[in-house]
Amino acid sequence: MGIVFTKLFASLFGNKEARILVLGLDNAGKTTILYRLQMGEVVSTIPTIGFNVETLQYNNIKFQVWDLGGQTSIRPYWRCYFPNTQAIIYVVDSSDTDRLVIAKEEFHAILEEEELRGAAVLIFANKQDLPGAVDDASITEALELHKIKNRQWSIFKTSAIKGEGLFEGLDWLSNTLKSGGG
Amino acid sequence: MFSLFYGFWKYMFSKTEFHVLILGIDKAGKTTLLEKLKSQYSNVEGLPPDRIVPTVGLNIGRIEASNSKLVFWDLGGQPGLRSIWEKYYEEAHAVIFVVDASLPPRFEDAKSALEKALRHEDLLGAPLLILANKQDLGEALSAEELARYLDLKKLDERAYSYEAVSAYDGLGIKESVDWLVEAMERSKRTEMLRARAGLTNSGSS
Repeated sequence: MGIVFTKLFASLFGNKEARILVLGLDNAGKTTILYRLQMGEVVSTIPTIGFNVETLQYNNIKFQVWDLGGQTSIRPYWRCYFPNTQAIIYVVDSSDTDRLVIAKEEFHAILEEEELRGAAVLIFANKQDLPGAVDDASITEALELHKIKNRQWSIFKTSAIKGEGLFEGLDWLSNTLKSGGG
Repeated sequence: MFSLFYGFWKYMFSKTEFHVLILGIDKAGKTTLLEKLKSQYSNVEGLPPDRIVPTVGLNIGRIEASNSKLVFWDLGGQPGLRSIWEKYYEEAHAVIFVVDASLPPRFEDAKSALEKALRHEDLLGAPLLILANKQDLGEALSAEELARYLDLKKLDERAYSYEAVSAYDGLGIKESVDWLVEAMERSKRTEMLRARAGLTNSGSS
């Protein structure tokens, strides 16, 4: 009986912690998203070599968000950060249609990683403010999201510059993490 | 003798994992249903209905009922997202189609989405459970009334049923799951999927 109450209490008021990786090709907008989420403003960024990490509190979840550099030469190092990850935020530059194929390949390579098996997947179709940006349905198609059948996924149209869609994505993520993960 | 029988039983049933697709137009209550299923059949605390946001992607629920493992795939129902439904048909053992029974103006949309799904060859023979959802609302139509409205033709070649449910308060959920499990166990499609997965062996003969 006591356990029931403890569980109930934890689920109602408990602060969960979650480790989130922000991945995506270079220039997708990962760092801008990280700081938009954390500080609520647009910071000017330079290409990330290495990582940025910030924590943010949202919906009773303490998100530890790791933004990893996305350039080709440093993508192999992503895997060093995979253990104990509850969710992945995969960021796509929706206006960079030429590189959607590469974005897809990197994405599916990540999904095959054993250490990320249980992680939920949130996709940000970013840079919706730019002309020529394609919508979420097109990104869904291009990334072949329908091939994901063993974990939960969701896609949101975002503009890190305007601050649109980011917190809707985090809402989904916190719901997903609370109701039992990926 | 008992252990032999038990082993056989376990072999026959406990490994069966059924994939059930939850379809329906937006705002029908698919994710609320999924969360209710999780709360009722597993020890995972489902999300309360007021926290549920429109699905743009895939939610998954895993439960165990009557010795079977059920994996539910809940897909977003907004018009732009319905194109991905068919990508999940091939591996689905059965389909739950959720209808907001309190909202007749949207029945036409629901009917055409459902008919389109049923025409798809990848769903051939899949048992179909149509849920007249939102029975907690006074104005909701009964399962029979909904059946009359939808007026589906050519359902004969598959097992189907209508059920009045409330994903909100749990009415009819157990009956629905019981029907589904039984229908899937008897379905030819289940055998077909099992064969394709390379699991046919002496157990099924």
